[in-house]
Amino acid sequence: MNQEILFTTENIGKTYGVNTVLQGINVEIRRGEIVGLIGENGAGKSTLLKIIAGVEQPTVGTMEMNGKPFSPASMLDANRQGIGMVFQEQSLISNLTVAQNIYLGRERDFSSFGLINWSRMNARAREALNKMGLKDISPKARVRDLDFAMRQMVEITKVLDIVSETANNRALILLDEPTTVLSDAEMAVLFEKVRQMKEKGNSVIFISHRLQEVLQITDRIYVFKDGRQTAEVRTEGADEYILYEKMVGRETNGEYYVSARQTVPGADVVLEVENMSLFGSFRNVSFKLHKGEVLGLCGVEGSGKEDVCGVISGDLASTSGELKVRGKRVKFASPGDARRAGIISVPRDRRDEGIIGILPISENISVSNYEKNAAHGLISNRRQDRNAREWVRSLSIKCAGVAQRVSNLSGGNAQKVIFARVLDSECPILILDHPTRGVDLGAKGDIYALIRDITEKGFSVLLMGDTLDECLGVSSRVIVMKDGLVCGEFDCPADNKPDQVDVVKLML
Amino acid sequence: MQNTKTGDFRNVPEGESWRSFLYRNIYIFSAVLVVSVFYIINPSFLSLYSIQNITREMAPLLPMACGIGFVLYTGCIDLSIGAVASAACVITGLNVADVGHWIIPMMLAFGVLIGIVNGSLVSRIKLPSFIVTLCAQSVYRAAAIVLSGGGSQNIALKQRYLVNWMSAIVFGLPLMFWISLGIVLACLIIERNTKLGKSIFAIGANEKAARLAGVDTVRTKTMAFMLCAVGAAIGGVMYAYKLKSSVPAIGDDKFMMAISSVALGGTLFSGGRGSALRTLVGVITVISISSGMNMAGVDPLWNNVVFGIVLIVAVAINSEKGIRDLIIK
Repeated sequence: MNQEILFTTENIGKTYGVNTVLQGINVEIRRGEIVGLIGENGAGKSTLLKIIAGVEQPTVGTMEMNGKPFSPASMLDANRQGIGMVFQEQSLISNLTVAQNIYLGRERDFSSFGLINWSRMNARAREALNKMGLKDISPKARVRDLDFAMRQMVEITKVLDIVSETANNRALILLDEPTTVLSDAEMAVLFEKVRQMKEKGNSVIFISHRLQEVLQITDRIYVFKDGRQTAEVRTEGADEYILYEKMVGRETNGEYYVSARQTVPGADVVLEVENMSLFGSFRNVSFKLHKGEVLGLCGVEGSGKEDVCGVISGDLASTSGELKVRGKRVKFASPGDARRAGIISVPRDRRDEGIIGILPISENISVSNYEKNAAHGLISNRRQDRNAREWVRSLSIKCAGVAQRVSNLSGGNAQKVIFARVLDSECPILILDHPTRGVDLGAKGDIYALIRDITEKGFSVLLMGDTLDECLGVSSRVIVMKDGLVCGEFDCPADNKPDQVDVVKLML
Repeated sequence: MQNTKTGDFRNVPEGESWRSFLYRNIYIFSAVLVVSVFYIINPSFLSLYSIQNITREMAPLLPMACGIGFVLYTGCIDLSIGAVASAACVITGLNVADVGHWIIPMMLAFGVLIGIVNGSLVSRIKLPSFIVTLCAQSVYRAAAIVLSGGGSQNIALKQRYLVNWMSAIVFGLPLMFWISLGIVLACLIIERNTKLGKSIFAIGANEKAARLAGVDTVRTKTMAFMLCAVGAAIGGVMYAYKLKSSVPAIGDDKFMMAISSVALGGTLFSGGRGSALRTLVGVITVISISSGMNMAGVDPLWNNVVFGIVLIVAVAINSEKGIRDLIIK
């Protein structure tokens, strides 16, 4: 390995509003090195890659590439300076051909008098694909006709082609979970290509949730936690256990999650899931939710836990299995049906699925239970406002008044409005999908306390935590999911929380 | 403390600038401006006779504009209201002599039926409202022409007594205008005080969130299209009563006028904001323009040129900053 430094960041940080997602990041990439980034969901790995790739701008900090200051204005700009990124979500355009995708935005090289010489482009694409060993992909094939793994390989070919054009083997390639859709054989091909790139002097930053892969391919590993860089490990001599420990890191005390008030779940089963499956997502999931219980669902993104909650909240339809609410068999065609059966969710994506941005706070609170403020068939806006003001007071939502637009509130306060909505619906079963995502510390504490309040009153909660720490800290019991299957269950009594390392082992 | 009402415009920061005050109330200023201009050109614009005339023109347009408002609040569009009004006008004109006043409930049912068809295609089968109602427009426009035999047909003089009452003057203004005001009031109550109305705004503002919050999006959207088609049918009946004949082309330029009125009222075309009260002011502006131009001797063929420009300007002014997305749903 070369000791020459290719790329460095100095004190990089990123905040969205009041929310710090990344701070004090100092990474150093040498030429011909493969560096791994690991950490839990939301640890800031993808954000850092996006900053390096020019997709997002850092709030503070500087970067250097080849010893010169590097502050890309856009992805194209970063590409020109030798940095290319392969995205977690694929960025290919499915109705164009492979060649058109590879040279998207660079058609000028193939055009004369405004007309594109397709055969020349296809020939060049053929060469690029051959270099990657993808002899069986035709440059003329439409991307939508390829399977996901092949698309991933095309995507990587495209990025490599873009940067190698300018970088002259001093390129930095960013791979954000490139292996999630690949089979073992395809992964082997990918790793071989990555190693070839490395031999030529290029560097790679590699994100994956599968620690085995990270250990297999990288030279050095940075560990991220809560937006900070917490450790740096040389791959040589490291093993999975060491990485688990570094990832989990901080132990929080029970006070943070108000564990003292954690309820002991009652014996009554309020919700029962029996052998439920959703084709392509999860299989044979069974569990019971008791009265007054917080049941946590753990698993990495894509483990199927989101879809399990989607089915229970009526957003998705399961392909088989049964759902029982208080012993009665139910089938939901929409979230409205679930609400009538007493199940409502706090959605994960607050901006997109939670708040109704341009409507005032009062309307946002009453949307799940208009009837509450109605008399003689008509809704009284005065009562609706009074009701909203009560929620604003009891959840201490900071706002100028209930007439204020929700889109003007901070993340934490907007989230409290959503909580007011689901509590106002008087549904006894709540699905909390990352209820503290993008919420500041103070509001997080309020939300944990609120969860304790409502479980004391006999509400039942199905929780998907933003971090494992939170999931274990808040829940009375957790279920672990991996690749669509339930693979473990832990009791989480307030005074005897399970070891995070044990849970992570099952998740990965 | 003030209360909030759905779709209303109360999200006003304290100490707002005069500029944002102007923007927020521009619908009133534009109405005042238009009326003043025509008053200066021709003082008789505000004579009793002229006002009676203007309100008579406003009457059929009000239910159409308020009706399409509901669809626009959900973020969809209904291009068929003009054609539905034409069809309703033709059917009313041809049959009022035979069935008498029963024609009115029959036309309401006609509107309900059309609305349910349009709405179901949009909400259940998830077709774009633009396409569904464009096709509906073509169907109902052709139906109106076929039914009427290609041209206008007068209601026989002997039967005129059946329709004249609608144009009677009550408290100084035509009865049909008072009926339309009643419809505006009913729309206002639906918007502000019913689950349906509030759900309509919630869907327009964020359909995904509304659905996850438990709003029945399929039913609510269908109902919005139903209210819209009923409004258009009422408009058509009123045109038949007002013109005392079946006119198959009556609705052709009414779509433009109705949608201009709603836009002048500040309704957000991407959904989630608007009010029947504001639409009422928009209708005053639109009818003042067409009547005023008429009184000033401008060829009525110019009307749609003017409304085309008015619509563009109104939408440009009222669009939410950053989201200039017109109808996409």
